[in-house]
Amino acid sequence: MSDEPFYESLEEVEPGKTFLDSREMVLNMGPQHPSTHGVLRVVLKLDGEKVNGLECIVGYLHRGIEKLGENRTWINYAPFVDRLDYTAAISNNLGYCLAVEKLMGLEIPKRAQHLRVILTELCRLAAHQLWLGTHVLDVGAVTPLFYAFRDRETILDVFEKYCGARLTTHSFRIGGCRWDAYEGFSQHVLKVCDDLETKLRDYADLITGNRIWKQRTKGVGKLTAEDCINYAITGPVLRASGVKWDVRKAQPYCSYDEFDFDIPIGTEGDTYDRYLVRVAEMRQSIRIVRQATEGLAEGPIMARVAKVLRPPPGEAYVSIEAPKGELGYFVVSDGSPSAYRVRVRPPSFIHLQALEKMCKGGLVADVVANIGTLDIVLGEVDR
Amino acid sequence: MKIGEVLRKVFLVDLLKGMAVTFRHQHPKEVVTEQYPLQRPDVAERFRGMPKLLKTEDGKDLCTACGACALVCPEKLIKVGSVRDPETKKKILTDFDFDIGRCLFCGLCEEACPPECLDLTQTYEIGLYSREGTVLNRQQLEDGVPRKVYEK
Amino acid sequence: MNGFLQYLSSNVTPGEAGNLPWVVIYVLLIFTGISIGVIFMNWFERKVMARMQVRLGPMRVGPLGMLQPVADAIKLLLKEDLVPEKADRLVFWFAPVWVTMTAFTSFIVVPFGRTHAVTDMNIGVLFMLGVSSLGVLGVIMAGWASNSNYSLMGSLRSGAQMVSYEIAMSLAVISAVLMTSRGTGTGTLSMIGIVEAQMQQQTWFAFSLFPVGLIALVIFSISMVAETNRAPFDLPEAESELVAGFMTEYSGFRWSLFFLAEYAAMMAVSAIATTLWLGGWLRPFPNLLSGPAWDTAFSLVPGLTFLALGGLCFWAYRGMPRIALRNEARGLAGFGAFLAGVGLLMLLPGIRMRVQDIFWFILKIGFFMYLYVWYRTTFPRYRFDQLMRLGWKVLLPISLAVVIVSAFIGVRHELVALFWR
Repeated sequence: MSDEPFYESLEEVEPGKTFLDSREMVLNMGPQHPSTHGVLRVVLKLDGEKVNGLECIVGYLHRGIEKLGENRTWINYAPFVDRLDYTAAISNNLGYCLAVEKLMGLEIPKRAQHLRVILTELCRLAAHQLWLGTHVLDVGAVTPLFYAFRDRETILDVFEKYCGARLTTHSFRIGGCRWDAYEGFSQHVLKVCDDLETKLRDYADLITGNRIWKQRTKGVGKLTAEDCINYAITGPVLRASGVKWDVRKAQPYCSYDEFDFDIPIGTEGDTYDRYLVRVAEMRQSIRIVRQATEGLAEGPIMARVAKVLRPPPGEAYVSIEAPKGELGYFVVSDGSPSAYRVRVRPPSFIHLQALEKMCKGGLVADVVANIGTLDIVLGEVDR
Repeated sequence: MKIGEVLRKVFLVDLLKGMAVTFRHQHPKEVVTEQYPLQRPDVAERFRGMPKLLKTEDGKDLCTACGACALVCPEKLIKVGSVRDPETKKKILTDFDFDIGRCLFCGLCEEACPPECLDLTQTYEIGLYSREGTVLNRQQLEDGVPRKVYEK
Repeated sequence: MNGFLQYLSSNVTPGEAGNLPWVVIYVLLIFTGISIGVIFMNWFERKVMARMQVRLGPMRVGPLGMLQPVADAIKLLLKEDLVPEKADRLVFWFAPVWVTMTAFTSFIVVPFGRTHAVTDMNIGVLFMLGVSSLGVLGVIMAGWASNSNYSLMGSLRSGAQMVSYEIAMSLAVISAVLMTSRGTGTGTLSMIGIVEAQMQQQTWFAFSLFPVGLIALVIFSISMVAETNRAPFDLPEAESELVAGFMTEYSGFRWSLFFLAEYAAMMAVSAIATTLWLGGWLRPFPNLLSGPAWDTAFSLVPGLTFLALGGLCFWAYRGMPRIALRNEARGLAGFGAFLAGVGLLMLLPGIRMRVQDIFWFILKIGFFMYLYVWYRTTFPRYRFDQLMRLGWKVLLPISLAVVIVSAFIGVRHELVALFWR
């Protein structure tokens, strides 16, 4: 990053020139904007409608979640981790619990692992539904938002019945699951899967084949596979560019190697491919949920852990496949009941690096589509 | 391009399919809105709502003033006051402050309570008009919040 | 007074009859009608969009939200009237006035029936197209007077879009006008004349010269959506875009004038489409099901429709929670009674014959309004360059081809006579 400021006042650069004489205009897509998915500030350098440069300014939602880990015990800290990627709280919880369990060397019972898989995949479905609704709304279609949220509600009903909350669920504990499956869990989950599969066909008619959608998203925001790897991009964005990398298959955790599912891959790496990849991922998630529900193991749901956790001194890093990308947790313990350091590898923060490359040379109207297709959540970006 | 594709493009088939989807959803049975004050949703049994201190059927306190909930709370918003009974050497609860304005509704206090008397109930209508009422005292926690019936 | 009542039995429009008092009455009626139409459209759009989005729409303000537009209007009137500091005050004031004027003026020649237009100019369609094109000037004035960079850009884009799609619109209109000459050998630009030509040729122009008429209708209905800046062509006024459009700096009553003008322009172009292709005020199947018995049967339809609407209101009234929503329930029952009363009134023979033309015309305009709302709900937005490409590179060639084909078919007998003597 150079030391010169990104934008200067025009009078300093070219005294005497009026605004309309200049070729480049600086436009501030401020923190309050309907389409920035949170408080993201994007400063654009425009030449007419073409984007010449872009800078993201983040930090408006910084809450000090990583620092809070040092002042709370290991068990106390888990509710805060939900608030990182607040659209998919269960994934965040899973990552944190896995990291601490790795630090302590705990063995999780099979039933707990299966319950975790079911809930995490349902959470992935819910997060992708939210992404779908908001992304399509940014591009202009207003109805799929409501259909997506209606489908998300059916999944949130399962969460509510299971752990009592819909958004910030705090569903898992270190060592397993706190609650067992409720009465009628399997039937409820299977019904949700069946309903969702029927509803996914609506999206195919309404969005996927629509020529206006294709014109707006094909060729927009292209990222080659090399770009993605250089920028450390993971998740559906990476897979849409053609790289076959999914943490669930590459480094299986939490009994994912017992289930049979495919990894959808794109070819072009543009917005349309990322859309297709995420919709295909939804179908694969439904497959996993069905397998896990039908093959739910019996047994205890919690390993034996002390009431006051004191992990042995050391460090552990665990990364999971969150809906947004590869979410990593690096935990350092010094033997006390509080963490010494909790560091989160947020996928959205890292994906924002690529925004400039995606938008440069494109039109202003595509910036909004590009932000949506990266699927960023400011809670994760700013922590 | 194949002839089928050309015809589909010319006759705007994809656009018409999309229009058919939105048309179909106009059926009244598709509506998912709950008109809030008239229809209140029933939440699940495990729902983490307004806290309540449970008592036994006779009316005696279940709470042993052990302070486990205060220890486990991430926000340190529970304050348990107690005196020690000189004869039985057991703690007796005197006051119990719960700051609902800072509560995360994480459920750790409910989980940690040994006699299972701190319960996060299914009440979700706990809005207040000012900050003064956010710290609930023992009496409010034992009474709970009555459910209001909507009147015009 | 005698001359006044004498007009009731005439069979020409007041403008043709030179009857000034009735002209004034018709103008006031049309003004009121458009305003009621805009109010109804506000409610209708919100309810239909909501239903398509699996929700309910306004439900609280009146029974089934029917007083919502009234509440919106009162809110807009009570808002603070902001004028930007360096704005050009005269032009800033004048822009919404201009847009409203052009939108309303084009309704002078719209025929709701043989005698139910203010006047019948012999250049009716040309007048309507010309006056609605003048509205573009108001859009540009609004953007310029706001003294804001983004408003100016937005208004220029809006203006460019409207002008581009007017060409395709006009070519489609030309092809319909060409079809008026098929029966008699002379065509006409007059709106009433076009409908009478359809009556005389015994077919709506949408179905004549199949599929040329239908293609022209489709081209016109796509262009009219772009002309009025509605989805999927509403990039200049989209909420999630950066450039917020020419209406940004307008608040309160001035904004409501733009809103009024937008809906009135929508109704005006729908009126053109109805007159040119869907047979104007003619009832369905005027020739297939002809004869006095069918005439009477079809003339009962308006009254029965209103009775049915009143019945629907009563049915909804029965489903409403009577205690909690006491006043709304009573309001709904009252409204249902009013509709039923209007329906009964429309069944009387004297009124029936006069009113049925208006009913069919408004029904057809309503169909196009429903299409507008349907498009808005279903489609994403076009980017501006794609929008212009569609207007110039796709719709313009197709409409040129349609004009050439309809002209060719119209003169084929003469051409045959010329070349194959």
